Amino acid sequence: MNGTVHTVLGDIPADRLGVVAVHEALLSVAPGAQYAYDIPFDRAEIFAALAAKLRAFAAAGGGAIVDATGMFHGRDLPLYEALSRATGVHIVASTGQGPEDELGGYFLTPQTNPPTPWPAERFAELYAREVSEGMVVPRVERRGAAGLIATGATRAGMTATEESQFRGCARAAAITGVALSIRYGADARHDLGVVLDAALPAERIVVGGLDRADAIAAGAPAAVAEAGAYVAIDHIGQAGEVDDATRAALVAGLIAAGHGDRVILSSSATGVAKGLPDAGVAYTHVLEAFMPLLRDAGVPDDGIHRLLVDNPARLLAVKEG
Amino acid sequence: MPRVNTVRGAIAPEELGFVAVHEHIGYGMPGSELDTQWWKSPEQRYEETVPKLRLFHENGGGTFVDATGICNGRDIPYYQSLSEKTGVHIVACTGFVGGDTALKFFAEASVDYLRRQFVHEITVGIQGSAAKAGIIKVGVSRGFRMKELDLRIYRAAAQASLETGVPIFTHLAVDVEPALTIFAEEGLPLDRVLFGHADDGVSQGKVNQQAILAAGGRLGFDTFGYDLELPDPPFWGRHRDERLEHFLSLVRAGHVDQLLASADANCSPLGWPGVKGHTVNYLFEQLIPALRDAGVDDATIHRIFVTNPAGFLTIGD
Repeated sequence: MNGTVHTVLGDIPADRLGVVAVHEALLSVAPGAQYAYDIPFDRAEIFAALAAKLRAFAAAGGGAIVDATGMFHGRDLPLYEALSRATGVHIVASTGQGPEDELGGYFLTPQTNPPTPWPAERFAELYAREVSEGMVVPRVERRGAAGLIATGATRAGMTATEESQFRGCARAAAITGVALSIRYGADARHDLGVVLDAALPAERIVVGGLDRADAIAAGAPAAVAEAGAYVAIDHIGQAGEVDDATRAALVAGLIAAGHGDRVILSSSATGVAKGLPDAGVAYTHVLEAFMPLLRDAGVPDDGIHRLLVDNPARLLAVKEG
Repeated sequence: MPRVNTVRGAIAPEELGFVAVHEHIGYGMPGSELDTQWWKSPEQRYEETVPKLRLFHENGGGTFVDATGICNGRDIPYYQSLSEKTGVHIVACTGFVGGDTALKFFAEASVDYLRRQFVHEITVGIQGSAAKAGIIKVGVSRGFRMKELDLRIYRAAAQASLETGVPIFTHLAVDVEPALTIFAEEGLPLDRVLFGHADDGVSQGKVNQQAILAAGGRLGFDTFGYDLELPDPPFWGRHRDERLEHFLSLVRAGHVDQLLASADANCSPLGWPGVKGHTVNYLFEQLIPALRDAGVDDATIHRIFVTNPAGFLTIGD
């Protein structure tokens, strides 16, 4: 595998990542929860909890984890750097924001008259600089380069500001060569279309949430793969309308249809959740519980390796300009 | 025991002195901390702020009430150090400048949760510090209409005010009828509420000042100095003489006890350029001389800047 990946400890060759969990969260904080009177933030405790989970991931065969919740959802770079050093797990941190209800008023109701939300170009610049100049520790400093740009749309359907957000993220991804992760809102094909329309090649995009029941019913996973983007089956282990057996059948079907080089697996686990429900899934779930289901569904080991190692490496490798 | 919560502990109301009742050490919209264009080193922030507070103190200023709500860059340890080093009492607030400055976690919170947040910050401390809030900030989101979240925050603030005694001040006095309804429903006497920014340029024609005054509310002329005569005035600016005349008309009409005045200036803005040349010291340098020139006597000026704010901020028996 060619290319390098931006991790919180610097760039590494993509072929050194090993097994990658592309859509996960380390410290996941609902915007504003850091100011809540009744939510403790004990850094030592947070570190210990995350370190234990990362060590378990490594023991199960995991090599790298992507904190894919963007720049305003608890991202804590000094913490992640220390965790990566302590556990040996490669950590990729992300920039981007969204859906809209997670944005601060600075972006939605600026101190201008009228308070027009930010346009795509300003989001593009904000996020591109998080790659080219480093990710921000608010009002303190910039650290390492973001390794992924992540955004999302509202479940009820993409808002106007989210369209700006998606276009801005796509532009930032095109400029910097870093991949773009979109968590679709109501219509995966539509939301992918928005970023394709912003001239980002499909091979630089991963669409999240494609193991949602509505996505499966709409045939969205195959459609996204056919468009050339990566399909994230990224709620593995989470309870809900879809169970893991259904997910395994979905993955096997995509591979059988020739999309084995476009599928990635993840759990959207929350290492430590503050101000939001813990997803209740371990980082090890894909490796320990889901792989046997894939084998049962007839996916051979080299096919599984592609999903866990080759595909994420190809996605996360920074595209040379 | 009567007292006022400041960031360095409670003080007697008699110690407040001259009060600037609606100011900011530094304000930024939530999320502005992510944009490096506004970042300042701590050295720069102190350099911009300390001389203004020192001058305020030398001018006879006693107390600076900071109106920077949760999520807007409120920074208690910084305020404590500024207060300690300049001798100015600083009162911090709990609450939100408006619904559109409350981040998702709070935007989705119930009235009861918001009330507990406010009460905790008033009775236990803000963000793990021992500093207790002395006032509650609420406000109207952009668009001059109360949104559902604004109303939820107003109701929680009313309940927290009744529970703790601390007063409420508002960002904007527009669309006041829903606010008056909430305060009446909760049984909060309106002398515990300062309806702020009644004087700003963009609010004119949208402030029902008679309803506020008739109900016993306090009226804030607290954007003094955001004059359209400035080289680069903000969109909420107003002609200097027009604002002054508006204020004087209420003084002459006998409403002095319901009036409070301030400058709403940022010592060192956090997420916007600020307005060059505008500081809290406008109150001493421009406003008070202008009031004197207009024939307002010293006793009246004392009521506006000392007696009224003391009555407003004091809690306890």
